[in-house]
Amino acid sequence: MNKPDSKNLLMVSLSIALTIGLIYFYLSKSETLKEAAISFYSFPDYPEALAGKDSVQLTKKISATEKRIFALQKKIENLWPYDPYLIINTTRNTFVLRTKRQIIREGICSTGSYILLDAGDGQQWIFKTPKGEHRILSKVVDPVWVKPDWAFIEESLPVPSVNDPDRFEYGSLGDYALRLGDGYMIHGTLYQRFLGLPVTHGCVRLGDDDLKIVFKNLQIGSKVYIF
Amino acid sequence: MKNINISKKSIIVFIAIQVAIALLAFILFGLVPAHREAGKIKAVADLKSGGANAELPKETLNLIEEVRRSEHHEAYLRSTLKLSRKDSIALFIDLNDSIAFLSLKGVYLYQSKISKIKINKGLKKLPYFLRDSLYSGPLQVVEEVSSIEKFPIVVKKAPKDTTEANQSAPSLPIQNDVFVMFSFSNNMVIEIDQEEEELAGTRSAYRQYKRHYRRWFMSESISSLFDQERSGYIYHITIKLPREDARSIYRALPLKPFVVVRY
Repeated sequence: MNKPDSKNLLMVSLSIALTIGLIYFYLSKSETLKEAAISFYSFPDYPEALAGKDSVQLTKKISATEKRIFALQKKIENLWPYDPYLIINTTRNTFVLRTKRQIIREGICSTGSYILLDAGDGQQWIFKTPKGEHRILSKVVDPVWVKPDWAFIEESLPVPSVNDPDRFEYGSLGDYALRLGDGYMIHGTLYQRFLGLPVTHGCVRLGDDDLKIVFKNLQIGSKVYIF
Repeated sequence: MKNINISKKSIIVFIAIQVAIALLAFILFGLVPAHREAGKIKAVADLKSGGANAELPKETLNLIEEVRRSEHHEAYLRSTLKLSRKDSIALFIDLNDSIAFLSLKGVYLYQSKISKIKINKGLKKLPYFLRDSLYSGPLQVVEEVSSIEKFPIVVKKAPKDTTEANQSAPSLPIQNDVFVMFSFSNNMVIEIDQEEEELAGTRSAYRQYKRHYRRWFMSESISSLFDQERSGYIYHITIKLPREDARSIYRALPLKPFVVVRY
């Protein structure tokens, strides 16, 4: 019995490896193979029920559909708020204050940082701006920030009791605040240089001039869309 | 001399095996899915048309085309209204006007100009009435592959003392390149790619996305081989958007969002 020489063994191993590689290659290129294969097929675009109609009937059908399209477009337009509303893009940190017909103001803002603060013992906070449709619940001039627990933990300070004077911070929210509920607000900032960046604890920060216009235009009940 | 003869034979066998594999791969991963899909389409097309394929004058064909286009537009608007009753953000891809936009309860939130549209051969060949009715939507995303995280969460431990707390400056998110793939239950895939050719992030992040994408496609190809119900052919649309627009759109969408396409 002949002993297989090492050269042949190497060849066989190489061939097996190459074959496996080739199978993988074809599998990874299956999208291209499918595209090549579909070229062999063609499908007539059957005009189905329409083929039996003459040009007058078809023209009537088109104008009837156009009427329905117009009605649907009106219905969709009616879904847009009539009063000024605010749209906030949390990815780009921009805002658009607009009405149904025109843009009143657009610019940069700051939204949630997406930081998850882990204080241990199962205590965690995530600083993100809530997406979806919101309404302005209340409007405040010269707002006072009632600091929540995380504000102290973040600064490594002892957490005071609920009504402790240390909880109340004056001036840090700017001249106005518009409350969205669950502690989220649209307000001003001392850190104007961070506008356009995701640095907040979930609130929306605006520059002073933008805030003034937003505050003036949005009323209680006005819609705020955050995405 | 004997050795040379053996290696010649080996080479021939080797080449024959490779050719056989190539052919088999083309049959299994190309022809079989395409044939199955073609069979399905023909069955539906025959049913819809009653087998008729009338020769019609050009004027009538143009009018039929116009009816079809306006009916598709109507269906698209109906989808918009239908989704406006839901409480989540949906993606609308208008290939006719080359725009992609986000809508919540019927309100347009964000719009981006599509710079490039690529539709694969199968979708191009598909009879209009099937494409408009089956591949327009609202379609709900079943699976997705993406080069960026949906929620760019950064975990931060609470500082131990005030010195450490004072040192922490705001950390800005890393802006990776944006490539997203949505797959649907009807053998359809929509890819949203950044239009910028130059990568902003690392090449490895891009390669990782491509690897995941390929893996998804391979698993689809393999599983369709054993499942007679699935054709295995994938209808594919790729749209290119500016990177930051693609990022905004992807991050705005909820998990398993609804997508509507207008052709």
